[in-house]
Amino acid sequence: MTGPALGDRSVPPSPGPIRPYEFPDVATTRLANGIPLRTVVPKTPLPLVTAMVVLKAGETASPAGQAGLAFLTSAALEGGTTARSGKELAHALEEIGASFGGATGWDSTTVAVSCLAEHLPLAMGLLAEMVRSPAFEPAEFDRFKAQRLAGARQRLMDPATLAKDAHARFMHRDDDTYARPLVGTEASLEGLSDDDAHAFVASCYGPAVAEVVVAGDVEPSEAAAAAEEAFGSWDAATAPVAEPRVGLRGRERVVHVVDRPGAVQSEIRTGHPGVARSVPDYLAVQVMNLTLGGSFSSRLNLNLRERNGFTYGVRSGFAARRGPGPFSVSTAVETKVTGAATGEILREIESIAADGPTAEEVLSAVSYLAGVFPLRLETTGQLASRIAEMIVHDLPEDYYRSYRDRVRQVAPEEAVQAARRHLRPDELCTVVVGDATAVAPQLEALGAGEVVVHESSGGRRP
Amino acid sequence: MVTRPAIVVPFEEHMLANGLKVVLAPARATPVVGVNLWYAVGSRNEPPGRTGFAHLFEHMMFQGSAHVPKNGHFRRVEEVGGTANATTWFDRTNYFETVPSHHLDLALWLESDRLGWMLPAMTEEKLENQRQVVMNERRERYDNQPYGDWDERLQALLFPADHPYHHTVIGAMEDIASATLEDVHDFFSTWYRPNNAVLTICGDFEPDHAIARVQHYFGDIPSGPTPPPLPGKPEIPFATGGTLRETVESAVPLPRIYAACRIPPFTSDAFYAGEAASCCLGMGRSSRLHDRLVRTRVAKSASCHALPLATGASIFLLVATGYPGTEVGDLEAALVEELDDLGTLGPDEIARVAAGRETRTLRALQQVETRADFLSMYATLFGTAARLNDDLARIRSVSAEDARAWSCAYLHEENRVFVRYVPEAQR
Repeated sequence: MTGPALGDRSVPPSPGPIRPYEFPDVATTRLANGIPLRTVVPKTPLPLVTAMVVLKAGETASPAGQAGLAFLTSAALEGGTTARSGKELAHALEEIGASFGGATGWDSTTVAVSCLAEHLPLAMGLLAEMVRSPAFEPAEFDRFKAQRLAGARQRLMDPATLAKDAHARFMHRDDDTYARPLVGTEASLEGLSDDDAHAFVASCYGPAVAEVVVAGDVEPSEAAAAAEEAFGSWDAATAPVAEPRVGLRGRERVVHVVDRPGAVQSEIRTGHPGVARSVPDYLAVQVMNLTLGGSFSSRLNLNLRERNGFTYGVRSGFAARRGPGPFSVSTAVETKVTGAATGEILREIESIAADGPTAEEVLSAVSYLAGVFPLRLETTGQLASRIAEMIVHDLPEDYYRSYRDRVRQVAPEEAVQAARRHLRPDELCTVVVGDATAVAPQLEALGAGEVVVHESSGGRRP
Repeated sequence: MVTRPAIVVPFEEHMLANGLKVVLAPARATPVVGVNLWYAVGSRNEPPGRTGFAHLFEHMMFQGSAHVPKNGHFRRVEEVGGTANATTWFDRTNYFETVPSHHLDLALWLESDRLGWMLPAMTEEKLENQRQVVMNERRERYDNQPYGDWDERLQALLFPADHPYHHTVIGAMEDIASATLEDVHDFFSTWYRPNNAVLTICGDFEPDHAIARVQHYFGDIPSGPTPPPLPGKPEIPFATGGTLRETVESAVPLPRIYAACRIPPFTSDAFYAGEAASCCLGMGRSSRLHDRLVRTRVAKSASCHALPLATGASIFLLVATGYPGTEVGDLEAALVEELDDLGTLGPDEIARVAAGRETRTLRALQQVETRADFLSMYATLFGTAARLNDDLARIRSVSAEDARAWSCAYLHEENRVFVRYVPEAQR
C-alpha cells in the first residue's frame, strides 16, 4: 500500500504560459457561375485534401410522403453517372486512394472526396460527375433502395435507434418534419423510385444552393482551377431552401413505453422540441447543456453513472437544425432501475431549469468549449465540415475566428437564462424501450405523465 | 514510378531508470498536446474466472488516486479544455488525454498519480459502483443488442479454451460481478508498473523540457518484478483443423455471418501480406466482396479485416449481412468462394490497396491523439516506435504473389469458422 515519497503531489500543477491559436484563414472566391469556393489550409499540413460540395438541400426538402428521399438520393450518387458505372466510379476513386461519399442531414447534403493533395483535379472531376450527372440507373437505384429498406428493418430491432425514432414520433405532430427518421421508414422508402431521385436532384441540386469547399495542403489557385473546371459551367435551376414545419404534439408530460418483452435494459429518451441553430443565445445553450449532460463530468453522468451505477453513460443535447431540433436526454439502464433512473433524469432537468448552472459550472463549461475547439480542427475533413456548418446555417465569415472569444464571454447569468428559457420540464415527452410488464409500474409512480404502452413493431420477429 | 511520400513523424525515445519507456514526438504548429500510455496488459492476461477484469480495472483507474478524488481526473481535464479516455483490448490497455499544450504538466501529474498512488484511493464502494457501470456496459453492448454476442461465439469457436483469446474483453457477467478489491490490488501490483508501460507525448512541447517533467512526475515510481507469463497456451497452430460452424437463431433483423481464420500475429513479418489480402477482399467499394457480393445483391454489406493482435495468433475476420430472406447457407457459400479464389489476386488490386492504405494512414496521423497511440503501439509491440515511419514502405512492398501465397497458407478450408445468425421465425 505504501507508495513512493509524496513530494509536492498534493497540489495540481500550474499551467505554463498559454500559447496562441487562430482558426486558419478561409479564402472565399467565386466561380464563373457564381458558386462560392472556400479554401483553407490546415495548420499542420500533411499532403492531403478534402473536396466537398455543400448543398443546402437536406431531408427537410423531401416532399410530403417521400420521407428518406434526400437521404436515399445522396446514397445512390455513387451508383454511377451518365459517363461511368458505379463500379467504374469506385475503381477510379480508389485507384488514387480516395475515400468518398454523400451525407444527408436535415438541412444539407454534402458530397466529399478525400485523397492525397496531388490528386485533387482528378478527384474534383469525379466529385462533380457524381453531383451533376448521376445516372440512377433503375436496377442500381433499386439496390440502394433495398439496402435502405433492410436498414429500416435493422432500426426497428436496435433498441437505441428504436427509442430515438419513437421519441421523434411521439414528441412531434404527425406532419411535423422532425417526426420522421432522417432515413425514412419502410413505408415511405417502398414508394420511392429512380424517377423521384432524378426529380429531387433536378429541383434541389444546383449552383444556387451549392458551395464548394477545399480543405488541405493545396495552393488556393490550384483549388480554384480544379473547382472552375469541374463546376464552373454548372447551370441548373433549383428550388429555394426548404424550411421545416415544427409544432408540438402536446403540452403535458407523457411517458410512452415501447414493449420489448424480456429486455435486460431499458433505453430511455426524454425531452421536447428545442431551439433552432439560429437562436441568439446558442452558445449559452451549449454551455448550459454541457453542465446538464454534455460531458463526462456533467450532472446527469455523475448522478446516474458515478453515484448510482444505473448506466454505462448518459448524455443530453440540443440538435442543431434550421428548425427547433429536439432537446433530449438519452441513456440505457438496467430494467429494474428504469423508474428510479427516469426520476433522477427528471429531477436534474427540473433543477437546472429552475436555477441554471452555477457560476463555477459555467466557468468550467466555457473553458472546456474554448479548449477543445482546436482539437476538433485537426483533419481536412473536420475543417471542411466546420465550413459546411457555416454555409448551411448562414454563420458570419468571422464566426470561427471569433468563436473562442465569444464562448468566453458567455456570462453565468446568460447560461441561467438559457436554462429557464429553453428547458420546459412540464412538457417532457419520455420514451422507454424495454420490458413493459416490468417497467410500466415503476414509471406510473413517478409523476412523469400518463404512461402509454405500445406493442413494439420491432418485437414482431421478421 | 512516382516516389510515394513516406511517413515522417520525428520522435525520440528514452528510458527512465524505473523501466518506463518514453516516446516524444514534437509538432508545434497547433497548441495542443497528446499524452498516451500503453500498459502491456489486456484480456489475454486474465485467468479463468476473472474474465473482463482488465477492463473493469481500467474503469477503476478513473476512481481517483492518493491526490486526485473520484472523477477528479475527468473533471480536471475537461475544465482546462481537454479530453480523456481509456480503452481495453486483447493485448493492452491504453489511457490518453489531449489538452491545450500549456497544461501538459496536468496530464503528466494525473497519469503519474494513478500509476504511483492508485491503491490508497480504492474502496469497496467505488468498486461496487464500477461493477454496476461495467455490467450495464455489457448489457448495452452485448445482451440487449442484436448480434451482441458474436465475438463471444466466434472467439470460443476459433480458439481453444486454454488460449488467451478464447474469451472476450468484456468478459462474463458472473466474473465481473465477483471481482474483489483484493483483485484490484493484485492486478495493479502485477501489471501497472513503469517497466510494463510506454508513455508517448505528441504535439506542442519542447522535448528537453518534457523529459525533465516526465522524470519529475514518474521518476520515483518504483519498477516492479518481471510480469508473470500469460495464462494458458498462447502458441497455437494457424489452423483450426477443419471448417467449424455455429448457427444461431435469435432476435436479429437480418441474416448475418461472422467468419474467421486463425492467422500469424500482427508482430509476424508476413502480416502485411495478410493485411493486403484482407483489403483486396473487403476494404472499400472496389474490393472483391463489394464488387461480387454487394453489387450483385447477394449481401447487403460485406467487409474484411486482419486484426492487429499480437499473442500467438490473430484473427482474419469477415462479416457479411444478407437481405430479408437470404439463406445463410448461400451467404456462407459466397464467402467460401471468395476465400477459395484468392489465388487469383492481381497487381492492380494490390496497387489499389496500397494507395488506399496510404491515404487512410495519413488521414489518421493528422490527429495528435491517434499519432500518439500509433507510437505507443509500435513501441509496446515492436520494441521501437520507429516502426511507424516505415509502415507505408512495408505495405507497398507486398506483391500480389506475397498476398496469394499468404492466403493459400492461412485461409484454407482446414482453418475456417462461421457464426451464422438467422432471424427467429416470424410469429
